[in-house]
Amino acid sequence: MSQRIVVDPITRIEGHLRVEADIEDGKIKDAFSSGTMVRLLEEILKGRDPRDAWAFVGRVCGVCTSTHSLVSVRAVEDALGIIVPPNAELVRNLMFASLYMHDHVVHFYHLHAMDWVDVVNALKADPKKTSELAQSISNWPKSSPGYFSDLQKRIKKFVESGQLGIFANGYWGHPAYKLPAEVNLIGLAHYLEALEWQKEMVKVQTIFGGKNPHPNYLVGGMACSVTLDDMSGINAERLAYVKTILDQGKEFIEQVYIPDLMAIASFYKDWGSIGGGLGNYMAYGDLPTKGFNDPSSFKFPSGAILNKDISKIHEVDLRNDKEVEEYITHSWYSYEGGDQVGLHPWKGESKMNYTGPKPPFDHLDFSQKYSFLKTPRWKGNAMEVGPLSRMLIGYAHGRPEFKEVVDKALKDLDVPITALFSTLGRTAARGLESVLVANWAQEFYDQLISNIKNGDTRMAEQSLFQPSTWPKQAIGVGYGEAPRGALAHWINISDEKIANYQLVVPTTWNASPRDNNGQRSAYEAALIDTPVADANQPVELLRTIHSFDPCMACSVHLYDEHGKHINRISVVGD
Amino acid sequence: MKKPVLILGIGNYLMGDEGIGVQMANLLSKEVFPEEIEILDGGTGGFYLLEYFEQYDHIVIVDATLDEYPTGTIRLIRPKFAADFPNAMSTHDIGLKDLVSALQLLNKMPDVHLFVVSIESIQQQGVELTPEIARIIPELRSKVLELAHRLAETKSEFMLV
Repeated sequence: MSQRIVVDPITRIEGHLRVEADIEDGKIKDAFSSGTMVRLLEEILKGRDPRDAWAFVGRVCGVCTSTHSLVSVRAVEDALGIIVPPNAELVRNLMFASLYMHDHVVHFYHLHAMDWVDVVNALKADPKKTSELAQSISNWPKSSPGYFSDLQKRIKKFVESGQLGIFANGYWGHPAYKLPAEVNLIGLAHYLEALEWQKEMVKVQTIFGGKNPHPNYLVGGMACSVTLDDMSGINAERLAYVKTILDQGKEFIEQVYIPDLMAIASFYKDWGSIGGGLGNYMAYGDLPTKGFNDPSSFKFPSGAILNKDISKIHEVDLRNDKEVEEYITHSWYSYEGGDQVGLHPWKGESKMNYTGPKPPFDHLDFSQKYSFLKTPRWKGNAMEVGPLSRMLIGYAHGRPEFKEVVDKALKDLDVPITALFSTLGRTAARGLESVLVANWAQEFYDQLISNIKNGDTRMAEQSLFQPSTWPKQAIGVGYGEAPRGALAHWINISDEKIANYQLVVPTTWNASPRDNNGQRSAYEAALIDTPVADANQPVELLRTIHSFDPCMACSVHLYDEHGKHINRISVVGD
Repeated sequence: MKKPVLILGIGNYLMGDEGIGVQMANLLSKEVFPEEIEILDGGTGGFYLLEYFEQYDHIVIVDATLDEYPTGTIRLIRPKFAADFPNAMSTHDIGLKDLVSALQLLNKMPDVHLFVVSIESIQQQGVELTPEIARIIPELRSKVLELAHRLAETKSEFMLV
């Protein structure tokens, strides 16, 4: 007997993702992922000044706003042949790095941890034992019995007041929760500490980007002035503040995030063989250290891995119209060339064609179009993007930093390298790359200070800023790595205006519907064989989907006003 | 030392009327105010807004909502808990509710006034407001400012005492 479950929406933040899964004998047999919201950013951008695009794309989502802006200015710079000064590259890298540190920690504690940590069970923990455990895994100072005991009292009072708040949507007491009460209490304590911590971390965006949320970018560089003595710009005092934030970020990742991740993972090693999915991984690369035109200098290298074969890295060329193509066979769009063709984004079309049922509906017909996400493919292959892809590609390139953190984690958990190709591997990779990024941020900072001390205060290249200097027609691609995975924007500029603009975002790669050949994308593939003990409480399904860090706001570009059920689960017997 | 009043516009201005809060913040940011009153375009900020919630005694939020009221209705509500926030129905909806839950848990919830503007639909793309919503901007502006000034004055009287 198979049962169909519907989870809608599935994200705790930003936007609408609906998953339907068929369960048979306690396992997922088939799954369908649908983006039920559309925002045609492409249409909003047409006819605008390319130099303003970053401000619009930054609004596509509140979470990785600055990555979209960054990739947008890169697209325009690529089209116009603008090379940004080294300091602007470093400031961009520092904003990128602090965004990652912020985003990954917030994802782990606030969007994903509750899939593994039973917060209600934490109330049963013995504070003294919790303290001993905390001190055995980390030197983090907030670990006394009194600290944990006070916290428990506070949470009890909160829960007794009838305001469940963040705890309202959990499957507390579900048998899939395996952590001892003391580990749950540590997780809960750090949930709260991470909330406090994150608000410092975001200040790097405000300092360099002028404001947050939605910091400022500039085609040709950055819109800030960095000097050591100027009172009006970013001076020595502000820079020292940036350094303090970066240090605190690194400290929290090393002393809180990683020890918690490893402690929690040690109770869920079975998830090292669940949720693997495609086995195809791709990264575009990011964090230039010798200019964006020298990809070999990127801290995150680019490449593609097929069928889990990490002995071979395939090159990825975003300009080649036979590599990245978007299909709409199962997406609510129509192409002039019909439903079966794939289009390279420079030739991309965004004409909506909603053929689904009138909302609210119970089910979608998956033999037809069923999502507002297009389906991107690389040389015809479905690819997973995200932290795991980046870590695997860095590892496959033999980069020592990647090997060191990955090998140590595998050894500490006593699991084989194949455990990486899983839900657990995805969640662990996010933590491990946070360590790398926190270290690199220190290098970027030192380099920036050194440049300024040597008298280089250039922050923007403005010689090609005026449209009179531009060719009549130009095309460009801006790319990079958003926290959730590979991101690129393709732009066509004609007569000083945007003629076409296409975004292919990480969640489109991962959450898209089937392609013209019926191949599943990453979410749908990863859910196959995921165990579900209780169809009314599919916490296991959430673990796998959340391990991708889904963010639908940017992947679908209208709005389904009926998606308002927060984590509505419906079970339909079949 | 906390600052007195923040007027916080939230929403997504890529989604037409859904962006009324942000449009209001941007409009107000071109005006001159006493230093007790600050304006922020909160966009779709979610957790990014936590630091602002902690910095002010009073927060006046302006947001759009889909509810049973006629389009363009302006209502002032006093949410205390996450559940009191209306279904804003925008991409920032869950983010804001989570944010409020978090503030309560940290015991740092400021005094919040929330102006909600009833909109017809967010099934539209583009940065333009519909005429029905553009029409209420003067009324919304004066309501928001009247409240903000009153809150700011209460504060300064309190400080004199």
